[in-house]
Amino acid sequence: MSLVILDAMKAGNGISDKLKEELRRNDKEFSYFELRDMNIMPCRSCGACGFISPGKCAVKDDAHEILGAIARGTTVIMLTPVRFGGYTSDLKKAVDKFMSLGLPTYIVKQGHLLHPVRYGSKAIIGVGVHEGISKDQEDCFNKLVEHNAFNLQSEYRTLFLNTSSGMENIQKEISSLLREVC
Amino acid sequence: MNNKRLLLLNGSSRKKGTSCSFSRTIKQLAEASGNTAEIIHVIDCYDGREDFDAVKGLISQNDIIAMVAPLYADTMPFFDIWFLEKLADECRNELKGKGLFAVGQCGFPDITRIEPLIDNCRLFAEETGMNWLGGLAYGGGGIINGALMEDLGKKGERITSGFRLALDNILKGEEIPSRAQELLTINIPKLLYRPLAAYLNNNAKKEARKAGNMDYERKVYLE
Repeated sequence: MSLVILDAMKAGNGISDKLKEELRRNDKEFSYFELRDMNIMPCRSCGACGFISPGKCAVKDDAHEILGAIARGTTVIMLTPVRFGGYTSDLKKAVDKFMSLGLPTYIVKQGHLLHPVRYGSKAIIGVGVHEGISKDQEDCFNKLVEHNAFNLQSEYRTLFLNTSSGMENIQKEISSLLREVC
Repeated sequence: MNNKRLLLLNGSSRKKGTSCSFSRTIKQLAEASGNTAEIIHVIDCYDGREDFDAVKGLISQNDIIAMVAPLYADTMPFFDIWFLEKLADECRNELKGKGLFAVGQCGFPDITRIEPLIDNCRLFAEETGMNWLGGLAYGGGGIINGALMEDLGKKGERITSGFRLALDNILKGEEIPSRAQELLTINIPKLLYRPLAAYLNNNAKKEARKAGNMDYERKVYLE
């Protein structure tokens, strides 16, 4: 069991530290990426990751480190503030590079055309942080995580952390999530 | 219906791709009915080639904004989200009350895959006090590969009709009618997905041979 944490939270948010604390307390093996400080360039749709350098983005940036960890790992936890019912750009800059986790060929699964996965399926966990959001925003976030997981032919789970509920409750929620997914 | 100003945001990193081709058609249709329209490339803002203050000025001058974007990992590319975050944080006054619509396109035929992209734009409109005018989804954008609608025969005519119908409402400040989406939807029976996958895989093999690299299943990060 190896966890990959993609942390798109702002500095000093408190939740990131709680998550790391819980992981260490439970003696979990994990790779942790603080995305705000990482140099991840946009996908330019050059197609190189398909056939020129299969499975590897031609852009030399920090995404390779993340993709290597995901390839070796079993579970990806994406921690992000909920923005417009989805991910912040800091998380999305990493998620856009998931393209190279798939093959450039096609399969049909559950009535959909998909790319086969290069490294097998993973568990995808989306953790949305907010100060109070609508059901509509929650549904949209759930759908986005579900679609990401479906593309990776993986199971998924979402968790919402309301910052106004207090750090003690947040810690309990994180602890319970880790018990469930690890 | 005339004298409206429309700002089209090409949300693709490609300036000659399908999103840009769609933007071009929407621009032409808007201009043909007496409106003005302009296309800007979001990637230029991200790369610093387009001055954000100038973009802010454009937002002020226009009545309706459109995000026309490809699907990357199930929603807009990250630089589009970066751009919307920047607009929401820095241009809220300029955005309030203006119209917004979205056009999403992806390589897969199933347009339900585009729902999160449209939803993210709708929730951006809600957060910034814009008037949401609806979204359109096109599945099979990869096959178009940036071709101009006038070069696509019947398919191009049908897509153009869908955009025309959508614009009729958008320019009146009304939501896109469902018929516009019907015109854009290619109904491929699910029964044909397997033969389609086989056809695409055959093309993939040809492309791999052309690139001189048949080992496209490499687990490069485990080597």
